[in-house]
Amino acid sequence: MHVSVWREVARSNAGKAGLLLIGAMVLLAIFAPLLTPYGPRENTTTPAFSRPSGDHWLGTNDARQDIWTQLLYGARTSLSVAFGVALLSGFISVLIGGTAAIFGGLYDRFWMRVVDATIAIPDVIVIILVAAYLRPNVFFMILLLSALSWPGGARVIRAQTLTLKERMHVSAARTFGAGPSHLLLRHIIPDLGPILVATMIQDARRAVFMEAGLSFLGISDPSVMSWGKMMQYARVFTYLEVWKWWLLPTGIALSITLIGLSFIGFALESALDPRLREREVGHDGGI
Amino acid sequence: MEDLHKSTLESQEVGWDGGRVVAAAKAFFRRSAFLSNYLIAFLLILVLNFTLPRLMPGDPFQAIYGEEALLAMTPQLKAQLVERLALDQSMGQQFLAYILALAGGDLGHSYYYNQPVLSVILDFLPWTLLLTGSALVLSTLLGLFLGIESGFRRGRHLDKTLLASLMFLNGFPDFFMGIVLLLIFGVVWGLIPLSGALTPYSGLVGLPLAIDILHHLIAPLAALVLVRVTSAYLLTRNTMITTLKENFILAARAKGCSEGKIKYRHAGRNSLLPVVTATGLSIPQMITGALFVEIVFSYPGVGLLLYNSLLTRDYPLIQGILLMVTVVVLAANLLVDLLYSRLDPRVSHAR
Repeated sequence: MHVSVWREVARSNAGKAGLLLIGAMVLLAIFAPLLTPYGPRENTTTPAFSRPSGDHWLGTNDARQDIWTQLLYGARTSLSVAFGVALLSGFISVLIGGTAAIFGGLYDRFWMRVVDATIAIPDVIVIILVAAYLRPNVFFMILLLSALSWPGGARVIRAQTLTLKERMHVSAARTFGAGPSHLLLRHIIPDLGPILVATMIQDARRAVFMEAGLSFLGISDPSVMSWGKMMQYARVFTYLEVWKWWLLPTGIALSITLIGLSFIGFALESALDPRLREREVGHDGGI
Repeated sequence: MEDLHKSTLESQEVGWDGGRVVAAAKAFFRRSAFLSNYLIAFLLILVLNFTLPRLMPGDPFQAIYGEEALLAMTPQLKAQLVERLALDQSMGQQFLAYILALAGGDLGHSYYYNQPVLSVILDFLPWTLLLTGSALVLSTLLGLFLGIESGFRRGRHLDKTLLASLMFLNGFPDFFMGIVLLLIFGVVWGLIPLSGALTPYSGLVGLPLAIDILHHLIAPLAALVLVRVTSAYLLTRNTMITTLKENFILAARAKGCSEGKIKYRHAGRNSLLPVVTATGLSIPQMITGALFVEIVFSYPGVGLLLYNSLLTRDYPLIQGILLMVTVVVLAANLLVDLLYSRLDPRVSHAR
């Protein structure tokens, strides 16, 4: 039954488009050094603000740096933050949500209170506040964003685990004497797959957005190449023509990443929600 | 027989008197538990505001006020500020001094504007409220309308186009949407002003002033609405799709209701409640979106103020703004929570 979710994502138009966009972006990020002869901070001999040419596909910026190169390395930053936050926050969600559902009782109530209180915090504000003082690098950014994004996932995972817990094969395992860790690892986590991935994709999307936003505000580590920072610099020069190959491509790269993630997320969510599944248009009832 | 039936029904609802007391007590605890979430969140921001500058290496005074401020500061002023922040005393007393100052409305002193932080923020706040408020209302109404039309025609051409294009627009970060609008309509076509919220020193009053304000507002507003309309739209569309399968829609069709009436009176009405709730819950995102959009359009709201204070490292102002935004966000969410349980009887019973 759970196999069809993945197939449905890969089959839906939104899912296909999303996977394609993200796949392309990941390839560009991984092979960045092969796709450009320059370094991201290398001051080339070409004059500043040159137009796009064979040597510089997107021209050069005010410091004679190659914009295409910066774009590629910016993708690395964005995607590493996205990947890191998705993994870390997904891990914490499963750890807390899953154990809370399995153990129940006071432990469960304690964690759900923590989740409720953390969700009430306006996270963007806390992140801006902390970043304004600490100017986070990629690693610290991942920690910071994960610390604020796990509660939503934990709540979803807990609810899902509670229903999975009552399934026949889990009760069967329990009667054979399986402990909580065995139940969680062997029987529940595999079935959490699609929902877990859906929350991770949501976290990744927020992470890309926040990383770009913080760099756009100028409060991330200045030594890290980032799309947000490129846009912050490029925005100053809108009176010149350079925005056409500096500001716009950067914003489009960022938007493509975000759109790709939200398309995959949307496809997953509609595959997970039986009421919205495309197949059963018109008829409900029956099987 | 009938009596018995009735009484069991009633006992499920509220029960006998003792049960009612218990239920009321439970409701009170639930209410206070959920109020305490907001209290905890607020306290956490206070603690962060207090500890972050004091955790920084070096002189906490320097971290609180920033290096630039120290250059322009006389020893007397410094001594006075040290006393006010209780920096020569223990951490507990410092925190107490901080809380007491806040309770008195003292958010600190902005050295850059040379004014109390609170009065600086209050100068900029109205424009943010105007932008956020109108964006909230407009994106909700538009989302409802489009969602109803789209859900009603599920799977048809209009639905597919709307769904794809709104999902696409939603992918844009608000500030990039703002940049695109600014470039196209401002830089290339020159249709909209490039900065500000009204024409300075124009001496306009009445209607011309309103038009001038609208002229400055329209692009930032459009940027926010285009990006943010999607959540209300998707929610309405989903509710429409599930509601249209219900039996009462069939009944309405059977008795010969017109399509328009079924769309808006019967099905559309059901999506009102979730959408209004979602709108309330999206206030924080809308405010933060507005902060970024204001920067792009140099719209003189709190966002632009925050950006400038980050550039000038005016730390008291940064802290004041973020605290203020937190208060607004928490208050709005609390209000929505309270309103929601009033609006939807199922919530106050079931929770």
